[in-house]
Amino acid sequence: MKKYLEWFCGLLAGIALFCIMALTFFDVLSRKLLSQSITGSLELTELLMVVVIFASLPLVTLRSEHVVFDSLDNYLPQTLTRLQRPLVQWLCAAAMLGLAVLMWQLGTQFVANGETTAQLKISKAPFIYLMAVLCAVCAAAHLMLATVKIDVAVQPEAEGGAL
Amino acid sequence: MTAALLGFAAIFLLALMRFPLAFAMGGVGIVGIGLVRGWQPALASTAQVVYDTGFAYTLSVIPLFILMGNFVARAGLAHELFQAANAFVGHLRGGLAHATVAACAGFGAICGSSIATAATMSKVAYPSMKKMGYSDALSTGVMAAGGTLGIMIPPSTIMVIYGITTETNIGKLFAAGVIPGLLTAALLMVAIAVMTARDPEHAPPGERTSWPGRWKALRGIWGVALLVVVVLGGIYGGLFTATEGAGFGAAGAFLFALARGRLTWAVLLQVLVESARTTAMLFALLIAATIFANFINFTSMPGDLKDWITGMGLSPILIVAAMMLIYVVLGTVMEELTMVLLTIPLFFPIVTALGFDPVWFGVLIVMVVQIGLISPPVGMNLFVINGLLPGVGLNAIFRGCWPFVLVLVGVLGLLLVFPQLSLWLPGLMR
Repeated sequence: MKKYLEWFCGLLAGIALFCIMALTFFDVLSRKLLSQSITGSLELTELLMVVVIFASLPLVTLRSEHVVFDSLDNYLPQTLTRLQRPLVQWLCAAAMLGLAVLMWQLGTQFVANGETTAQLKISKAPFIYLMAVLCAVCAAAHLMLATVKIDVAVQPEAEGGAL
Repeated sequence: MTAALLGFAAIFLLALMRFPLAFAMGGVGIVGIGLVRGWQPALASTAQVVYDTGFAYTLSVIPLFILMGNFVARAGLAHELFQAANAFVGHLRGGLAHATVAACAGFGAICGSSIATAATMSKVAYPSMKKMGYSDALSTGVMAAGGTLGIMIPPSTIMVIYGITTETNIGKLFAAGVIPGLLTAALLMVAIAVMTARDPEHAPPGERTSWPGRWKALRGIWGVALLVVVVLGGIYGGLFTATEGAGFGAAGAFLFALARGRLTWAVLLQVLVESARTTAMLFALLIAATIFANFINFTSMPGDLKDWITGMGLSPILIVAAMMLIYVVLGTVMEELTMVLLTIPLFFPIVTALGFDPVWFGVLIVMVVQIGLISPPVGMNLFVINGLLPGVGLNAIFRGCWPFVLVLVGVLGLLLVFPQLSLWLPGLMR
């Protein structure tokens, strides 16, 4: 289950990110050399950004890569941490589920307004629904961490590109 | 004022309970707005922030610069950089330490992350230093401190984040980091020279490389040097926006890695997913910090604080110096990105009200983050090196980094007193 989730989300986010890179590259090239930009490249990037961010959110959760304050870990008694970790995961799951509901409602509003992107007239609503679904997937990932014992390898480079 | 203080207290409490900081900040922000303004506006503004941050073209600069750094790191360039630097300075006393700093500076020109720079260089530089009999304290201290050049020398993730949250021009921030970055590298080398003069046995010089050998070593890095010149020069010269430059750089780095035969399908996907994950982690923090900042801006705290501080009649530069002192102290125990995101809504209005240039303040922020990353007990760079070199104890690393922490604090003082160091180069931009 975890494997499929990682594979699916990773592929989705990876392909979207590669597309953003290629799109920006060719857009810049064609603007500088042919003085003509690719139609709708800006809004395509925006739609792809949504996919990159929200598809990789469950992966961040599964690998416990969210920034946490863990300096106290060695000083806390183990019984306390054994209670605290599932509790934190349950609450995070609830928060992500709440966000999913919120974004789903926003998506419904967008359907009602029929809002599309400016140039290519792509409907935005499916992407907002996708945000909602991926937030729910992320909630599920938190639940997996709360209920199933998953070995999270400590990765010294977890924050690799962040700071 | 009370509401905001309770908000900060709640975040620290949740953080101590090991809540991910994104959830702590976002949650406190929503509840805060809910209590101050009502629940309907709280939920509506949250949905709006998530939507705005998700659908933002300019924010694609973040994953693209991260991708560029990861491609170049995967292309195995760090080794060539270190060889080239060593060819020029290796014959000096402490030559490998000097070469490490120079290679870090070069790597920092492609990579926007201090942690990634320290991690990449430690794999390359440590084995050579160990073989030559360098002490663990010196070699790890140099790698940790050199790594921080990754965020001062452009591109820089923290500068992008500062630029986005304060609406400061990212291209100017990048230009502003060049001189402070080079100055830091130079002063780190001076510190190495002084330290190795007192303890020459632990830093023997290497063999001198002939000039033909030096040119040969440089040939290994010309491709990336070209990429740096095109991307940063393009942004600086107004040819690209930061976002366009990042896209161009990422694509160039991709082609570079491809040409060197380092990319299989599996590696490509791994680099892409790694970069996407870092992006998602940053965006979670960014969204949460925006929600929290919205809450703080609904309270009277930013205004009260501004009035209180400007009303004290202190000289403006002293006020900024006091902020820097707070940052350096906080940075010893806090995760630096959170520290910056939490304090920007409070400090930034004061700094601009005092009439200071946001670009200058941005450079100071980067410098305190650099210091925080290598100051014990909580310094990410130190932990990363400790994780990668299991044979070296954290004690040796802590001992080795102290002299360099002092150097960085010295640079911070220089940047504070001489704003021109940061502002001269961006001032030349159109």
